[in-house]
Amino acid sequence: MTGGSPIVAQLREIQRAHGYIPVAALRELSERTGEYLYKLHGVISFFPHFRLQPPPPVEVLVCDDLSCHLRGGAALLAAAQERARNAGPEGTVVRAVSCLGRCDRAPACAVNETIVSRVTLDTLADHIATAAAGERVAGEHVVRGTTPLAVDPYGDGPRYGAARALAASGDAAGVIASLKAAELRGMGGAGFRAGLKWEFVRNAAGDEKYIVCNADESEPGTFKDRFLLENVPHLLVEGMLLAGLVTGARLGIVYIRHEYEGQLEIIEHEIAAARAAGALGPSVFGSGRAFELETFVSPGGYICGEESALLEALEGKRGEPRNKPPFPVTHGLHNKPTVINNVETFAMAPVILARGAEWFRAQGKAGASGLKFVGISGDVVRPGVYEIGMGTPAREVIFDRAGGMAGGRPLKAWAPSGPSSGFLPPSMVDVPLDFDSLAKAGSMLGSGALLALSDTACMLDMALNAVRFFRNESCGKCVPCRVGSAKMVDVLSDIAGGRGRPEHLAMIDDLSHALIQTSICGLGQVVPMPIRSVLTHFRDEVDEHLLHKRCPAHVCPMLGA
Amino acid sequence: MTPAATAVKLTIDGREVTVEPGTTIFDAARRLGIDIPTLCHAQHQTPVGVCRVCTVEVKNHRVLAASCVRPVEEGMEVATASDGVRRARRTLAELLLADHPSPCERQQTTADCELERLGEVYGAGAPRFAARAWPRGLDESSLFIAVDHTACILCDRCIRACTEIKQNNVIGRAGKGYGAGISFDNDLPMAMSSCVGCGECMVTCPTGALTNRKVLDVELPPGEEMGAEELKALPIFARMSGTFLDLNRGAVVRRRVRAGEILCREGDFGSTAFYILSGKVEVSIATPLGHSAARRTAGSGRKGFFRMLTELVKRPPAEVADAAPRYIPIDATVDLDLSNPVAQLGPGDLFGEMTCLSFYPRSATVRAVEETVVLELLRNVLQMLQKDKVFKADLDRRYRERALDTHLRTVPVLSGLSAAFVTRLRDRVHLVRFEPGQDICKQGEAADSFFLIRIGFVKVTQNFPGGDLVVRYLTRPDYFGEIGLLGEGVRTATCTALDHVEVVRIGAEDFRDMMREFPDIEAAMSRVARTRMQSDDRRQDTVSPLALDDFLSQGLMEAQNLLVIDLEKCTRCDVCVRACADAHEGVTRLVRDGLRYDKYLVATSCRSCRDPLCMVGCPVGSIRRHPDSLEIIIEDWCIGCGLCATQCPYGNINLHPFKVVAEDPEHPGVMKAQVREKATTCDLSRDYKEPACVYSCPHDALKRIEPVKFFGIQT
Repeated sequence: MTGGSPIVAQLREIQRAHGYIPVAALRELSERTGEYLYKLHGVISFFPHFRLQPPPPVEVLVCDDLSCHLRGGAALLAAAQERARNAGPEGTVVRAVSCLGRCDRAPACAVNETIVSRVTLDTLADHIATAAAGERVAGEHVVRGTTPLAVDPYGDGPRYGAARALAASGDAAGVIASLKAAELRGMGGAGFRAGLKWEFVRNAAGDEKYIVCNADESEPGTFKDRFLLENVPHLLVEGMLLAGLVTGARLGIVYIRHEYEGQLEIIEHEIAAARAAGALGPSVFGSGRAFELETFVSPGGYICGEESALLEALEGKRGEPRNKPPFPVTHGLHNKPTVINNVETFAMAPVILARGAEWFRAQGKAGASGLKFVGISGDVVRPGVYEIGMGTPAREVIFDRAGGMAGGRPLKAWAPSGPSSGFLPPSMVDVPLDFDSLAKAGSMLGSGALLALSDTACMLDMALNAVRFFRNESCGKCVPCRVGSAKMVDVLSDIAGGRGRPEHLAMIDDLSHALIQTSICGLGQVVPMPIRSVLTHFRDEVDEHLLHKRCPAHVCPMLGA
Repeated sequence: MTPAATAVKLTIDGREVTVEPGTTIFDAARRLGIDIPTLCHAQHQTPVGVCRVCTVEVKNHRVLAASCVRPVEEGMEVATASDGVRRARRTLAELLLADHPSPCERQQTTADCELERLGEVYGAGAPRFAARAWPRGLDESSLFIAVDHTACILCDRCIRACTEIKQNNVIGRAGKGYGAGISFDNDLPMAMSSCVGCGECMVTCPTGALTNRKVLDVELPPGEEMGAEELKALPIFARMSGTFLDLNRGAVVRRRVRAGEILCREGDFGSTAFYILSGKVEVSIATPLGHSAARRTAGSGRKGFFRMLTELVKRPPAEVADAAPRYIPIDATVDLDLSNPVAQLGPGDLFGEMTCLSFYPRSATVRAVEETVVLELLRNVLQMLQKDKVFKADLDRRYRERALDTHLRTVPVLSGLSAAFVTRLRDRVHLVRFEPGQDICKQGEAADSFFLIRIGFVKVTQNFPGGDLVVRYLTRPDYFGEIGLLGEGVRTATCTALDHVEVVRIGAEDFRDMMREFPDIEAAMSRVARTRMQSDDRRQDTVSPLALDDFLSQGLMEAQNLLVIDLEKCTRCDVCVRACADAHEGVTRLVRDGLRYDKYLVATSCRSCRDPLCMVGCPVGSIRRHPDSLEIIIEDWCIGCGLCATQCPYGNINLHPFKVVAEDPEHPGVMKAQVREKATTCDLSRDYKEPACVYSCPHDALKRIEPVKFFGIQT
């Protein structure tokens, strides 16, 4: 039974010692481990977390993805660069970075790898000064949350009741039946039925199986797993334990993004607590059945949220998605049957067992089943994570729970799940937030990363911003995504730059067809979604840019040829 | 087994096909004769499904499927060329072509860029998308392979060629997304990486990203490209995979040459082999004749004092005369007679095999005698041909009939074999081929055969305390394996193929018969074996720790013989230089330059290395060690390719122009004076009793001395 590859940890160790990965250390590692140089370099150069050059004295990474973009990320980035150029301190490098997962506290930056949020040009200058003085920048203080949640069946009482019961009864089939009855679906975005997945792995041949938790949420607007890791880590641990007992896997791995340092500490603390309570170890609650949990810190990149790319990264390879079939349920980690679920999916499992499938189903609205955690960000008064019944209309989340639009501005558009769901008009704000209703509306529930846009946003600009994110995060393995996403950015930049031509629309159409139909994974398939949704629901705005070389929201540069 | 586990039935383009489970849609379609286009898929590599060009429509599936990686399923209904499929392929080709430097290097030279062809087929020739803003650059560091990153489509074929096929493990993907590219080791320029230049990557590359450097005369000269169908109609390709031939379109061209036209020239670098379909060619080496003539006339007009002086001490002819007839091994199934180095080849003959496999210079000039049709082959095709048993048997038969005789006679110790015995051997020897790096025999193993080298180079290593040591390199006309057979029946050294090696294997029984029947041969062979073993023993004594830094860092431990000048005695009178020139057709081989140790100068002069790297790769076997002593000799038939000079680590081999009268290659039959380069190195004045420089020094300042003695190292 082997967990994650030690290579990533070894590279991280070298980087910790030197600040980067020097060639000599790389060669030494290659000789010591027998890993070929080309492989090691392939891994290092793939993940943004690793550096091959010494870091500058002060490195400022500014997020300008959707949520931060709506809160002035682009202007902050430009101003910070300008200031660093003119006023230093010397050696300060300011550049853009992909979503840091602080969408509710936008805009976010990382100064010498410490994440700071709700940044203004002035607070950023203070952080830079601190870093330039060689001191550690004060980041966020992450503590275990105490938000009372309907989802937690234990409250202040003893935890792990569902796992204890299963350990005693051994009724794996009953667990699968309950998950099926509760209609629990994958909360990472794909919505695959969890009960069915667990059953596949349970029935898969072989003794060596794995449970993997995808805690690598990285899409702009997505931060609900961060909230769950902080508030109900015991439900995640218990959910993975349940999956282990049901499928016969003896090892679970929590794959967590490296920007979640505080959350990692919390989950590790909870794993230790579970072990102390007898929930983890060689004999779970005295059942004689073993289950252990470990954590694996992602070396970075949105693509690692794609399940097979995540498994590749876990195996110490470049995080490139695999061709499917076969699927992880039969050929997962180390090619063994693997349950890979999102944090929220695992967390829901003990709730269903503790409170019953009926109770869980009853939490849903408008015919949908269960509870859902949605993160809302963008132009709202109270961005954050809210626990809602599945099927709650977006209107309720935006206008009631999140306090409505910031500054009282009108809602211009909203997205049910970050850039990949595309943008919907206010007229659709009453669509229930559940898998089927949103699919019917030509969008998707995804991970529930709601975005609300006020009338200050330009829809073409938003689509371009979203596509740029996908291009930056494409792994580059398959042609449609690697080249297609770059060309899509080119085309949209041309239109936003006032160089639009009518044939651009046909080009977008051809690109969309190739991306959706031939990409290896979901990333490539969603690249066209933002612009397609804008063309569907905000066509006039695109035509203004394309035909009249005018940006109605006065956002796009429109410089002309 | 249930029937479902044994066969899967599906329909492709409306036609039913039944295949084994696990078959991909791509392969199933091939069974039906349906060709699905692809860029990243190569039949001999594990499919990766990254280019997506082989995409097909599967009924009731949400998206298209990459047929090269998608296994068939019972009842699948596949459409390989629906509108949606064609549209996707067109866009994919257009996307790649937008960033492609059309026409790329491959298209310009061999007109077989697979991407550009795909673009043509799908009408994506004029991309609507803007090109990449920054070209990704050229890597011209390698002498053999040009890397144009801009033309790379990241199909991964080179990566699989390097890791899966050749297991050299140098090429990988680096970077991410649109910035990703292929890279060597930790993103080094190709020449700085651990790349061995095997060429597998460029053979498999579908575009101009990896091409043979022009210096190697890469381009398949203008010839007719032949399609798979046309090739399959030829007997030699009849048994070869059509897929392979199709994927390697352009790797075989047909050339028609008129009488007198030259196919290749001695000394040129090349990477192709030729197979004669019809007609007749003449293989020749111009140099030895011309050069011998020049030598005969050189001294007639002017005879300097030192020449006369050195003539006085010339060895009597009997000492240097080689009793065996001399043959020049060339890159074909014939040998050339030194006294008249011309031979003819006809239909069914293959030549240029070694050049093609190991990128050595051409060993001879080949000219059509009559209207001739040849196939010119790239290495991958040649290698596939060699895997064909029928083809291989035919080549072996030709070798046995035409070259075994001369081959045996070129080996001095075997020159006494009777014609009857050679005839007996003819049917009993085996030609055995070894890949680079493969062990032919291993130290400590039981000895069961004797080997004559036909092509390639063999490295002989012995295991010493502290590691393996290269004791010698062998090539034609060398042999090996006799020590084990003559002695205790155990191999005393490991012999490894350094490049593509073919040996003539003579079984232990035949070898023993030979020894019984020809006592002279046994005596001679035992003598050589003893010398080899003695030098091995000596080496065993001297390889022990040598501490002197200079000694090691300058490679002097490799040297067996140094030319040392005592600078206090030397008056710089130049007599030594002139004596050297006089002893060597007027060209000095002595350069009074080198490392100084105290009052001594260790001259830059051949050191008769233990591990003579210079000998590796000589296409005509003209550089070798003297059979009875240490010095390196460059024979007259040197064709001046310069490989040995490049390989000598100490710069001790130089190319010098010689005036020769030789046949004009452009005008057969016409003799003309021309300047030819030949490699020269210090041969210790082998025609004389001692080196001319040492002998002539009036001040007794020069010495030839063993390094261990010079450095006073105790052994």
